[in-house]
Amino acid sequence: MLEVRSLSASAAGVDVVRSVDLTIGAGEVHVLFGPNGSGKSSLLKAIMGLSPYEVTGGDIRLFGHDVSGHAPDERAALGVGMAFQSPPNLQGVSVRSLADALGADDRLDEALTMLDLPGFDRRQVSVGFSGGEVKRWEVAKLHLQAPRLLLLDEPDSGVDLEHVAAVAVAIDRLVRDPGDGAAPRSALVVSHTGSVIEGLEVDVGHLMVGGRLLHTGDPITLFDHIRTNGYVAPEPATTTS
Amino acid sequence: MSTTPTTPLTDQRTELLREVGYDDGRAGTSLLVDQQIVASESAHPDVEVLPIGQALKTYDWLQDLMFGLIDPDEDEHVQQAAELLNDPVGHFVRVREGAVVTSPIQLFSILESPQGRQFTHNVTVIEAGAQVEMISGAAVPPSVHAGHHISIDECYIREGASCRSVSIERWGANMESHGYARTHLEAGASATTTALQLAPIRHHLANSVTWVERDGRNNDRAVMLAPAGTERVVDSTVHLVGDRAGSESVTRMVSDGGVIVNTATLVGDAPGAHGFVGCDGLKLTDDGHIEAVPALRAVDPTAQLSHEASVGRIAIEKLEYLMATGLDEDAARDLIVQGFVSLELDAVPEAVAELVAETIASAKTGGM
Repeated sequence: MLEVRSLSASAAGVDVVRSVDLTIGAGEVHVLFGPNGSGKSSLLKAIMGLSPYEVTGGDIRLFGHDVSGHAPDERAALGVGMAFQSPPNLQGVSVRSLADALGADDRLDEALTMLDLPGFDRRQVSVGFSGGEVKRWEVAKLHLQAPRLLLLDEPDSGVDLEHVAAVAVAIDRLVRDPGDGAAPRSALVVSHTGSVIEGLEVDVGHLMVGGRLLHTGDPITLFDHIRTNGYVAPEPATTTS
Repeated sequence: MSTTPTTPLTDQRTELLREVGYDDGRAGTSLLVDQQIVASESAHPDVEVLPIGQALKTYDWLQDLMFGLIDPDEDEHVQQAAELLNDPVGHFVRVREGAVVTSPIQLFSILESPQGRQFTHNVTVIEAGAQVEMISGAAVPPSVHAGHHISIDECYIREGASCRSVSIERWGANMESHGYARTHLEAGASATTTALQLAPIRHHLANSVTWVERDGRNNDRAVMLAPAGTERVVDSTVHLVGDRAGSESVTRMVSDGGVIVNTATLVGDAPGAHGFVGCDGLKLTDDGHIEAVPALRAVDPTAQLSHEASVGRIAIEKLEYLMATGLDEDAARDLIVQGFVSLELDAVPEAVAELVAETIASAKTGGM
């Protein structure tokens, strides 16, 4: 699904991702831990092809395609979707009109209900949303897109405890139960706090610090280690995948 | 019910006018074609719709209202219209005191003669306590590209009356239009106007002045689009002349290669006057320009006035956000533009809310 090889990326001339190797197979859910400013979001945005991130080395392959030079919509067309950490306010663009544009109007009500966002179809995208509503909407948006690979940037930050579970369940359902007999989806979840993994079945955990992946292993073990020791790689470090 | 002998609306004309708000069964209808009022009728006992010439003969007090709000020497175009005073062309609308008119009054202009020149001088009187909705539309047949339309509208909204109106213009791409609107809101009166100026036009001047008396309320919104080859010059002034008079003016401008110059001035003359002017512009290409000039003049020290103005391109982060959902760049751009110019339809007469939404939705960049 996703192969990242020796990927380096910069933003405004500053190196933010350094020689990252990462492979996510079909149906796998990976979580990416790391402190603020460690490059987690930058990695996701580089994979999605967003500005101002520029790949300075290595390559990204999505579903077997080298996506160098691909615009975000071309990457999305291959089957990747992203839940943004801080999406822009789209003044005047209603949630319903975006669903219409995506040809997903028939799935909107279900998605909003699942994320406990009643009446949001008339709201303007991200305008006046609380921090938690933003995250829940971003997951609902992925339900509308139904991508095969999900990139989720801090889906649990700013979400109250009551709704963290709902977000996790919604992500889990997106991944494990795509419907219509389709194969399970894959996901790369960025988490600063790790709270989302308590309700989400995760296969692999990564630790990213200073733009580099320092550790890859069992996500629960890694999360426990981070809670005890902070964002330092467990010893002995395993080889990154 | 007042009715004037009319020339029936032809199917061709009604089809054209439906795009700018026409419908059957309205409280009143006026249609100006070239330089002749061809339809002037009322279907409501408290509504009069007359050709202005006939109205002047019927009501001598109307003479005092013609050019009561605008100087005949305002500029060369108004002067030209004033020269036609011996045989004025336009409509007169009167809504009687206390009337509640739920069906809109509709007023239209069509220029059917290529290269034609059209002068119209309209007077509207909404008497005390009356409530009314109005739709005005302007159109040309597809065969007409060039011509010149000059209009003067003087609107008197008497004490405690309210008027909610929408105007939709679809002139020809090579036309000129000069519009002068003057509105006087008496104490406690309110006016809510929505203007859609989306079709290509070579040069369009919209000049308006509104006076708001004690506790009166003015609320106007305008959406304008300027594709390449279109120039729109908007100059509006609202005088808050009565205690606690209020006004809110919001303009959304999109340049897709054309020029928009929007000067909106709010004057707080009276104690407790309060108002807001917002001018936001979106520039889609390197060509053309948008000039937004919101101006405030607080004459009374207790007046509370504020403004906002912004002009810029579509933010790349907004485009990419939508593109990351799978929309291509054009679709993403259209969605953002549609959102930018969208209006809360609560302020639009219900009878045309759907048409207004559709008109805005179909306003693709590059012209309708």
